[in-house]
Amino acid sequence: MVTPVKEDTELVTINIDGKDYQVPKGGNLVDMAKWVAGNDIPVFCYHPKMDPVGMCRMCLIELGGVARDRATGDIQYNDDGTPQIRWFPKLQTACTQTVNDGMYIKTNTEQVKEGRESVIEFLLTSHPLDCPICDKGGECPLQNLTMAHGNGVSRMYFDDKMHLNKHYPLGDLIYLDRERCIQCARCIRFQDEIVGDDVLAFHERGRRLQIITNSDPGFDTYFSGNTTDICPVGALTTGDFRFGARPWELTEVPSISPWDAAGENISLSTRLDRDFGGKAMIKRVMPRQNEYVNEIWISDKTRFGHHFTRSDNRLSKIQIRKGSNFSESTWDSTFKAVAKTLKEANGSVAAIAGGSATNEDLYELAQLVTGLGGDKLGAWSPTHTGADLVAQVGLPEGSNLGELGAGDAILVIASDLEEEVPMWRLRLKTAQDRGAYLVVANGRNTRLEELATEDPNIKGRVVDGAAIRYEAGSAAAVMANLKKSNKDIAKKLADANHLVIVAGAEGLTLEGHRALVQSAANFLIDSGHAGKVNSGLLVPLPGANGMGLHYMGFSPETTQDIAANPPKVLIVLNAEILDDDPTAKTWLSQVDTVITLGYFMDAIARESKFVLPVQTFAERDGSFTNGERRVQRFYTAQGPMGDAIPAWKAVGNIAQAADLGRAKLSAAAVMVAIAKNVAAFEGITYKVLARTERQFPDVGGDDKYYGGNAYQNTGGIGKQIALSGTAKSEKVTVPDALKAGKGEIVLLPTTRLYDRSHMFIPTVMVRSRVSLPFVHLNPKDAKALKLADGDYAEVNYDGGSVRVRAVVSDDVSVGAAVFPRKLTEKATPLVPTVGTITKVTEPAQIEG
Amino acid sequence: MNIIKGFMTTFKHVLEEPVTLQYPEQVKDFEKRYKGRHHLRRYDNGLEKCIGCSLCAAACPADAIWVEAAENSDEERYSPGERYAKTYEINMLRCIFCGYCEDACPTQAIQLGHEHQLSFTDRRDAIYIKDMLIDAPADGQEATPRQVEAGVYTQSIPNMEDPS
Ligand code: SF4
Ligand code: SF4
Ligand code: SF4
Ligand code: FES
Repeated sequence: MVTPVKEDTELVTINIDGKDYQVPKGGNLVDMAKWVAGNDIPVFCYHPKMDPVGMCRMCLIELGGVARDRATGDIQYNDDGTPQIRWFPKLQTACTQTVNDGMYIKTNTEQVKEGRESVIEFLLTSHPLDCPICDKGGECPLQNLTMAHGNGVSRMYFDDKMHLNKHYPLGDLIYLDRERCIQCARCIRFQDEIVGDDVLAFHERGRRLQIITNSDPGFDTYFSGNTTDICPVGALTTGDFRFGARPWELTEVPSISPWDAAGENISLSTRLDRDFGGKAMIKRVMPRQNEYVNEIWISDKTRFGHHFTRSDNRLSKIQIRKGSNFSESTWDSTFKAVAKTLKEANGSVAAIAGGSATNEDLYELAQLVTGLGGDKLGAWSPTHTGADLVAQVGLPEGSNLGELGAGDAILVIASDLEEEVPMWRLRLKTAQDRGAYLVVANGRNTRLEELATEDPNIKGRVVDGAAIRYEAGSAAAVMANLKKSNKDIAKKLADANHLVIVAGAEGLTLEGHRALVQSAANFLIDSGHAGKVNSGLLVPLPGANGMGLHYMGFSPETTQDIAANPPKVLIVLNAEILDDDPTAKTWLSQVDTVITLGYFMDAIARESKFVLPVQTFAERDGSFTNGERRVQRFYTAQGPMGDAIPAWKAVGNIAQAADLGRAKLSAAAVMVAIAKNVAAFEGITYKVLARTERQFPDVGGDDKYYGGNAYQNTGGIGKQIALSGTAKSEKVTVPDALKAGKGEIVLLPTTRLYDRSHMFIPTVMVRSRVSLPFVHLNPKDAKALKLADGDYAEVNYDGGSVRVRAVVSDDVSVGAAVFPRKLTEKATPLVPTVGTITKVTEPAQIEG
Repeated sequence: MNIIKGFMTTFKHVLEEPVTLQYPEQVKDFEKRYKGRHHLRRYDNGLEKCIGCSLCAAACPADAIWVEAAENSDEERYSPGERYAKTYEINMLRCIFCGYCEDACPTQAIQLGHEHQLSFTDRRDAIYIKDMLIDAPADGQEATPRQVEAGVYTQSIPNMEDPS
């Protein structure tokens, strides 16, 4: 359980309204009163995840302490033997108090009531009468606290109120209503303390005080949506949910983010909708508290990226190829036809599945392929590997990145976490703020590197961090030789109480990544951290279920094997092979029949014989295994799209048609089979995954003002799979880095959070933030190619070419061009490769 | 004697006007507060009073009202302020004519009128959509949506009266 009381926590006694409580020393009074006594001290500016500022005065209480003799320090007693209490003459703010032994508080006296009433009245002097049209109305801390503590009658009237801009877009996503702001600075502090991008600020003074953004363009951090949750009024609202529904009309469905390895817990707020055929529709995505995973935050991609689930481009009908055309079909006949094709392959069957397929889908798919006599199960994309090592030396059960702090160390190597797994970047950065030592190693500049090494004096915080900049592509060698070439850093890492290593694949081939992950595992084993709680290895595997792929038997190495020895029939599940990889068409042309199960008519679907529409995470039950090996379930939220069914069902029915046993009837039943047959999942059922526990801080209960509008976790906090096997420190052979010949250059694909993938591009409101395709060069390389910053360039690589903008700066290393994936609709290199870049002189069309 | 008294009463009533009305030829006058089917009202300037806040739907004990809101702009304005009702429907078969919706409305947009002759041959016809509920604009007033001068209609809720 996530609690403020650990085994070694020192307890002190405080007295709340006449009753004694034992609370952990050093805790915040508001937090503790809520945790131990269920006493909801009202707050506006205080937030349990941020430092107190004492700005709003809502939390007024009577405060006292046991009187002690000044000279001797002895407790002074009344005549009746009770200790004397010295009360402060005036009310004090509870949020700025740290509990200490002998603290006495009163929260229910006349004076306190009057204090609260006055603060509410003061805040309402200029608050507009917007509740009926305000998106916060119904779950608004100001509304709730006014009902609870305010005076029923107003002495102010509308004409006297301050009139300010009511519709100010802070960026594309967040709207500010300046009349509603109560100047609590929660949004400013969130950006500054939690995200580390202090782009919001106060402007002017007194009644005119207003929030402004000083970022250009607009307020566009990857976490901006969280400010709307913690804003205690409707001053900050998202453009996505604007007037979408009233909060009380929404049905909250617990779910899991489908985007990345963090597995952020979310709540899908749904409501029936006329424009969606009267079916339940996702109106907004809210964070759901899981202190082990995402605390109470989610990234903007998770919050705003749900539109693909209802996109017009979703595959809604079964498509079967006849010659060069497709015709629609029914499920029953399709199951039979597919089964027939599969059987005719005589065991030459393989499958490749992507990271958005669920554990259930993958299990059924693996059963089908092995049942048919095939044994090749490939994981997409073959860029990242090492899931097997995460299963052995990952973070053990009970670990929590939120507990890392002073004395601990973190190494992030070959990964741009901000773009790959933003939630990990947020949690590791806050760990650094709590005192952990954060080392960022990469071949280029990344946002996390900037944050980890920024001058601590600017923010007045003591943060300890370092950066290692290596020659592009040499991450594995750097990790393997860390103890020799970066002695001091390696020593600090090895000596830390807890050590977390995040080993990405940037600039590495699959073999290179394997070497890197093995070296990282070696480091953890040698330093004695392997298997210790809160220490271990993380790999930012692509997709939400990278670890699930591993546990169900899919591996990226097998994908390479499939490419080298193409089977007769290939089943593709949620893997956009042809859109992702320009070289895939060469080997795919040797596959007789491709059967695709997916969300969209993507390039691989267009090359397939059978295209089966399957449901996204929103329309069905299922589970993902996140990068920390936590299995988490999600529930059906949205109405179905067309004929799509869950992939486990489609695959199970194909197996049934192929006489491989009866299809399962529910996702829960598939999980029962998984628990029986996959050792790591032993004991996991949907019921176990649905278990919840009390979490500190107590956010999202009835109050809604204390921690904002994050939702209480009612759907389950999931179950972390225990470490298995005993990894040994193994000798690593680092493959040679790619070398470019004369006139060539190494192209290093990187991941961008916002890209033009089929899943993300339907998110219209974020589209303007998807970068136009570019290639990023070091000035030296650019000079050799006669390219200047902003020029057009044609990048040629194995399997294609694309015209992009050149960006020139020394943020990237010499000899390698950073060339992000999926920024154009054309397939660009998936793994590092050698290519050429030429200047394009005529005004070129950028292919976005 | 008692018999005469009894017949007196009878005769008195014989001479009185009958209370029975020959409905539907004759229709009773209604009390001002009679609660018949709803109207969505407009301001004198023709803008819709309803701001799509759904409070009526929340108050309705019969779950008869369905509101979906959208955003106004000065080019296409339905109601003052930022929000208007894109969809507004009342299912007259569910409605129990309690008038809670009227009480809940912050702009007095929804009001129960006197029309009571509601009969349908299809359940779906019982759902009154916004076009059926909303009053026609007063003479000489343009219908909604319409283009208005920028920055005039910024306030959703009419001004509060001075409480002093
Ligand atoms: S916008 Fe909201 S969170 Fe920010 S200062 Fe104003 S009330 Fe507080
Ligand atoms: S009159 Fe009563 S039952 Fe009918 S719509 Fe209004 S609130 Fe609902
Ligand atoms: S009729 Fe009144 S209560 Fe109902 S949505 Fe319109 S403004 Fe709100
Ligand atoms: S001053 Fe304590 S909550 Fe704002």
